[in-house]
Amino acid sequence: MSSTATLGSNNRTIIAAAVVLAALAFSFLPPRLIVYDNLYGFFMWMETTWFGVIGQTWGAVFAIVEAFHLLAMALLGGAVFVSDFRLLGLVFNDIPAQDVLDKAHSVFKWALAVVLFTGIFMACGVAGKIYFLAVFWYKMLALVTGILFVFFVKRPLLKKDLNDINPWVIKLVAVSSIMVWVTVAAAGRWIGFSG
Amino acid sequence: MSEEGGSNKKLDDLEKAALVSSVTIVVFFVVYWAIQIESTYSLLAFAYDW
Repeated sequence: MSSTATLGSNNRTIIAAAVVLAALAFSFLPPRLIVYDNLYGFFMWMETTWFGVIGQTWGAVFAIVEAFHLLAMALLGGAVFVSDFRLLGLVFNDIPAQDVLDKAHSVFKWALAVVLFTGIFMACGVAGKIYFLAVFWYKMLALVTGILFVFFVKRPLLKKDLNDINPWVIKLVAVSSIMVWVTVAAAGRWIGFSG
Repeated sequence: MSEEGGSNKKLDDLEKAALVSSVTIVVFFVVYWAIQIESTYSLLAFAYDW
């Protein structure tokens, strides 16, 4: 068997490792600062958009959108906890895991769509503030990691028959999923208390 | 979900990708929160002269 064939059979692993290494390198090397500086203009522009003007001018609109953002986060968190605790064997053990995972994932997708839309609206309203908050960037890192992890690793993996997957891998996936989404939620609240 | 399931089987590509990304996520966020908790404790210790 040639080395190319071996590489080909580990395609997804190689891509995952490359993305992880690229993300870590970007996070800790100087090019990050150049990108950060260049994004300042974009954040200033965000405040001038309709979303930005509405968010800054009418506090009530911002508050209502934030209410939907928090409700969608609660829904998203519920979907994450239900599916991951089922994977850990802590809840709904009398219901087939695949049923729980499929239903939780459809709730997760809708909740994520609402979170992203309301989040963009809110970010436009306070762009000048969040640009300078380190916790905002950690939240974005966690959010992007969570989305990539769910759609390119977790979901494809769990579409397989769970009996064919190493149980330790399933548990590790569940724990890391909980960690990344709890970080997204906690960092979001932290933004609210900052500045 | 069977506990014995695929535990003795060789990991396939998807499982290895899941393992690599999960371990990275767990390590990164454990370190991140450990640093945050430590810095919060240091601030409180400084503020209240612990």
